[in-house]
Amino acid sequence: MVRDDTGQLYTIEGLAAALIMIITAFLVVNATSVYTAGDTHINDMQLEALGSDALKMMDVAANRSDAETPLQDIIRTDNSTRFKTMFLNYSNVSGSGPRHDIQFNASYTCRNLDNSTKNVPFISTRNLTGGEHTVRATKWVIVNKPVCSSVTVPRAVLVEVLLWRD
Amino acid sequence: MPEDSGALSIDFIVGFTIFLLAFIWVVSIIPGLLINLQGFTIDYDAVAYRTGVILVEDPGQVTSQNFISPWESQIDKDFVARFGLAVSRDTPNILSEEKVNRFLCTTVFTYPKDYQEKAIFGDYPYRFNISIRDEERNVPPIGDVLPEGYGYIRRLVKIKGASYATINGTSISPYFNNTDQNVTSHKFSILINTPRLYTDMTDPSYQIDPVRDRILINITSLKSTMSDPNSGINLTSITVVSNTVSTLQYSSIPDTILSLDNTILVLPNKLPQPVSDNISITFSPKYFQEQVYPGLFDKTYYKPIYVNLSFTLNSNSTFLNNSWSSPFDYNYTNVNVAQPQLRDAVVEVAIW
Repeated sequence: MVRDDTGQLYTIEGLAAALIMIITAFLVVNATSVYTAGDTHINDMQLEALGSDALKMMDVAANRSDAETPLQDIIRTDNSTRFKTMFLNYSNVSGSGPRHDIQFNASYTCRNLDNSTKNVPFISTRNLTGGEHTVRATKWVIVNKPVCSSVTVPRAVLVEVLLWRD
Repeated sequence: MPEDSGALSIDFIVGFTIFLLAFIWVVSIIPGLLINLQGFTIDYDAVAYRTGVILVEDPGQVTSQNFISPWESQIDKDFVARFGLAVSRDTPNILSEEKVNRFLCTTVFTYPKDYQEKAIFGDYPYRFNISIRDEERNVPPIGDVLPEGYGYIRRLVKIKGASYATINGTSISPYFNNTDQNVTSHKFSILINTPRLYTDMTDPSYQIDPVRDRILINITSLKSTMSDPNSGINLTSITVVSNTVSTLQYSSIPDTILSLDNTILVLPNKLPQPVSDNISITFSPKYFQEQVYPGLFDKTYYKPIYVNLSFTLNSNSTFLNNSWSSPFDYNYTNVNVAQPQLRDAVVEVAIW
């Protein structure tokens, strides 16, 4: 038996103290929710997947016999209206998911004969003010057209779309 | 007690034991506690993205390397390791119609267990809604009604449609240039030259592949090929010949579907059967995989297939007959063969 019982912890107090400690630990661990840097990229990832899927699907011919894909035809004929219709049709397609009010800015880049690159603005649904949070989707296409030089040979053209939610 | 130095107080032991037990309990549930460290939507979005990639960019897998048939041909769902709808691993976003149909078949696969095990994965039983919106037809989504918050991904894809041959009696005259064959017994052959189909078109997106995609042969206006249209027609037999099988009888539903005058003939109804004007023959890929090319793992061993249709007429007449000319070639250049087409579709995965 302890004779001097000052500062002594007895069973009930010990129990209470243990419980308090456990509950505190539980609350602290349970309540903490860390918002990691990675989280912010989720929306970007969804938009980027959609944009590159749209470009990819535009670069697929429906039939084996088709001479060129819709995207090749669009770049060759500079048909920016068709690009806009097609791209918005793919990216704003309504479904069960959240609505996509997508705006985009498309351009394509090719290499000149003197080895310098040239960027050709193609079409945009809205001007970029600098405040938009854009993601980039790209697709290489081979186009038989004198895009960057006067020589008509099949050329590799990089189609680049910056897209953002309105 | 006069000698109590170094003695442990009972109170202390009880209190410390309780604390220790509780501490162990808390530590043991820490992996569970850490789940809360992740924001819900992050996890759901990531799982949705992963499921989207599995479905759209992967051809799927069976449980054993020893299976020759792909997952969509397995009758036993336990042999399916992973769903995947892509035509091949080299063609992301191009989906196979056969795989899509099998995936959507909720009579074979149980909702939600099979889909969780073979498409979504993870220990947590995620709830989901997977919809495939095909521009050509309406297919109901698989899953529950969407709640308020969920992770999702939307993938744009193309579905590779099946090829089919239309053999119209009136326009097919080059294939039966034997009008002198004024007899009662006739034979019409269709050639499916598998090795040629593979070498003539190497891109699986547009390939006619009897071992992966459905093949349909429609024969119409039979009467127009006859010099005596009043004679009755009987389809006596359909046999399939290749170097692996000598004379394989036509099989039964669902591997093959035979329809005479738009009525499906449920085998084992035995041939011969009377036909008045048209025949439709469907071969599922499973038929070629398991019956025509049994035991062949390697595509390079595939040999041409001949589908022979035998007819008897009630009285002498000319008829659809190419036994004296060349077989109807089911290939890329034949104008009577509709080539596989890619059509737009959207795959949406929602997870919560």
